[in-house]
Amino acid sequence: MIVVKNLNKAYGKKDNLFLALKDVSFEIPDGSTLAIIGKSGSGKSTLMHIMSGLDHPSGGSVVIDDQELHAMKSRAMDNFRAKQMSFIFQSFFVEANQTCYQNVMLPLEIAKVPRRHRKDMVLKALKAVELEDKVYNLASNLSGGQKQRLAIARAIVNKPKLIFADEPTGNLDSTTGDLIMSLLFGLNKKLGCTLVIVTHDEELASKCLTQIRLKDGSIERMSKTKESRKK
Amino acid sequence: MYYTDILRRSSRSLKSAKARTLLTALAIAVGTFALTMTLAASNGAQSYVNKIISDNFDPAELIVAKDQTVFQSGDRTKPKEYDSSFVSSVSNAGATTQTKRLNDEDLAKIKSQPDIEQIRLGTSVNLRYITRSGQKKYVGTAQGFSPAQNPQILAGKIPKPLNNKNILLPEAYVSALGFSSPNDAIGKSVTLVVSRPFSESTVRSLAQNGTLDSSKKIESAFDTATLEQQFIIVGIMKKPMSSQPGTELYMFIGVEDAQVLNDYATLGTADYHKYAFVYARVKDGNDNNKLLAAKKTLQSAEYFVNSVEDTQKFLTQIISVLRGIVVAFGMIAIIASVFGIVNTMYISVLQRTSEIGLMKALGMRKRDIGKLFRFEAAWIGFLGGIIGSLSALAVGTALNPWITEKLDLGVGNKLLIFRALQIIILIIILMIVAILAGLLPARKAAKLDPIEALRTE
Ligand SMILES: Nc1ncnc2c1ncn2[C@@H]1O[C@H](COP(=O)(O)OP(=O)(O)O)[C@@H](O)[C@H]1O
Ligand SMILES: [Mg+2]
Repeated sequence: MIVVKNLNKAYGKKDNLFLALKDVSFEIPDGSTLAIIGKSGSGKSTLMHIMSGLDHPSGGSVVIDDQELHAMKSRAMDNFRAKQMSFIFQSFFVEANQTCYQNVMLPLEIAKVPRRHRKDMVLKALKAVELEDKVYNLASNLSGGQKQRLAIARAIVNKPKLIFADEPTGNLDSTTGDLIMSLLFGLNKKLGCTLVIVTHDEELASKCLTQIRLKDGSIERMSKTKESRKK
Repeated sequence: MYYTDILRRSSRSLKSAKARTLLTALAIAVGTFALTMTLAASNGAQSYVNKIISDNFDPAELIVAKDQTVFQSGDRTKPKEYDSSFVSSVSNAGATTQTKRLNDEDLAKIKSQPDIEQIRLGTSVNLRYITRSGQKKYVGTAQGFSPAQNPQILAGKIPKPLNNKNILLPEAYVSALGFSSPNDAIGKSVTLVVSRPFSESTVRSLAQNGTLDSSKKIESAFDTATLEQQFIIVGIMKKPMSSQPGTELYMFIGVEDAQVLNDYATLGTADYHKYAFVYARVKDGNDNNKLLAAKKTLQSAEYFVNSVEDTQKFLTQIISVLRGIVVAFGMIAIIASVFGIVNTMYISVLQRTSEIGLMKALGMRKRDIGKLFRFEAAWIGFLGGIIGSLSALAVGTALNPWITEKLDLGVGNKLLIFRALQIIILIIILMIVAILAGLLPARKAAKLDPIEALRTE
């Protein structure tokens, strides 16, 4: 369960003060999918950064499973992120001159997963994104869609509770984008992890259980699909 | 992150920028090469000096003199007061000087010191000539043999002690004296001849009784003032591997035999029973404290005293100065390469901004990110150290035989001696220097804001 309460984010001071988030509140249950939509500059990324603890709010709180995220010490926060969260970005951020295997290994090393489990976990994650035949290929040799699949494998390898995806299909053509999204939704069902997707793709957003539409830093509209109401 | 994981990641990122890494490492390697060579050369020079010393001196002995100039020290720019009890001598450069020498009284005084065990004269006899029947005459110097000396023997062997008119000859005299081989010379006899300058009184008496009435008579009178002694060759010495220049042709006889010849040659002159220096053996003198104590007592008795160590220091001084100069240049090269490391690391941080951002987003600790880059710097230092020292080792090993031959160091001696420990310490120092150089870039990486780093626009 993620509870976001009265989030405010201000940039700048006094005359230059700019509110990127204004009193944002919502809740999403575990294993759910959330789409944050809105125009460019509406505060989507800012919200995601605060929800993932990368950024600090100017006011309000984010509570994940009864833990107030921003009250944690930096060490606990790092540890929390290493074990519970992961990220997928528009521009993939895979290491081009490392193999797929080495790329997917990174979160396990950061989380200090015991060495004997690592290989298994990496291979499983690569299999889940259908890259099992590219394990020892350099990431630079992959196509855009394959790179994003690699990023997804990296995101799921340590079985996080929460995956944040910032415009995951933004750099892909629509067919590949669809493939990636169905892969993500499939993994969400299969692994039960909560998925937070930042997008301005309405169609993609409609596939999520909850949609939050931001405008100038405030929630303009929040909607839930029928499926989610059933839950 | 575990250390090994950080280590692996840092080496991997170096591999992905091979050319840059190699060029940076090469800059360090140049300095390392110079330093490794310098260390090797000074090791070699040091061990060469040590060998000369241990082949020629007994560390428990002190060298005692009455004049400072014996030890190449003292002020020679001031006029020296004339002392009628000493003859003047002429230096190599032709300058007239006087060296105060020890006499028998001094010897007795030195010997009476409780911690002095024994006194040995460093007698050097200027032969009129050495010869053997049917052969040419050769000039030569006969030295009293010190038990601490350890010349290499080609034939025969060194009796302990060497005395009773036995002689050790350098190999150069073998064919000169008509022997077919070193072995052929062993057991054969040679004649050593010394002569005595006439004292005024002797010449006067000979002239008075009319003996010196022709030039021939005068010449023959001189002949009678020579002493001929037969010596048995017991050993032929190989040309020494290490020796003070000019001493290669020394022949060695017992100290007492040398004294007899010297006394004959100097009788009636101011040189008679006068010694530039003597060797004083200290009781338990291998114990440095006792040696120093004995040195002090002798010094307080107004003698000038050198230990073997002092001699060694004097010889080593030059080596240290040269070493210092080259080490300074090596350091400058390494300091210059530090800027290379700083630059390379900054570029590395800039190029990997998004990677750093991602790692931080995934929960990698600040200090682990700092470590990642410090390790990377350490790798560069290590690589430069390895390249520099190994190439020095390769070049040095290849050149050693050639240098030995050119410098005539003698078989078995090397100018360049590489010591593993020194090289390891050098590499560790380089790694530390590299880490220090990588400190700022690593800090920059650790402080990077992941949000900024991961911004796509
Ligand atoms: N570090 C910052 N300093 C000042 N303003 C910022 C900063 N980051 C974001 N903003 C502003 O906050 C608003 C929201 O940004 P962002 O969350 O990135 O929008 P989105 O992701 O919806 O495009 C934008 O107007 C942006 O200019
Ligand atoms: Mg954005």
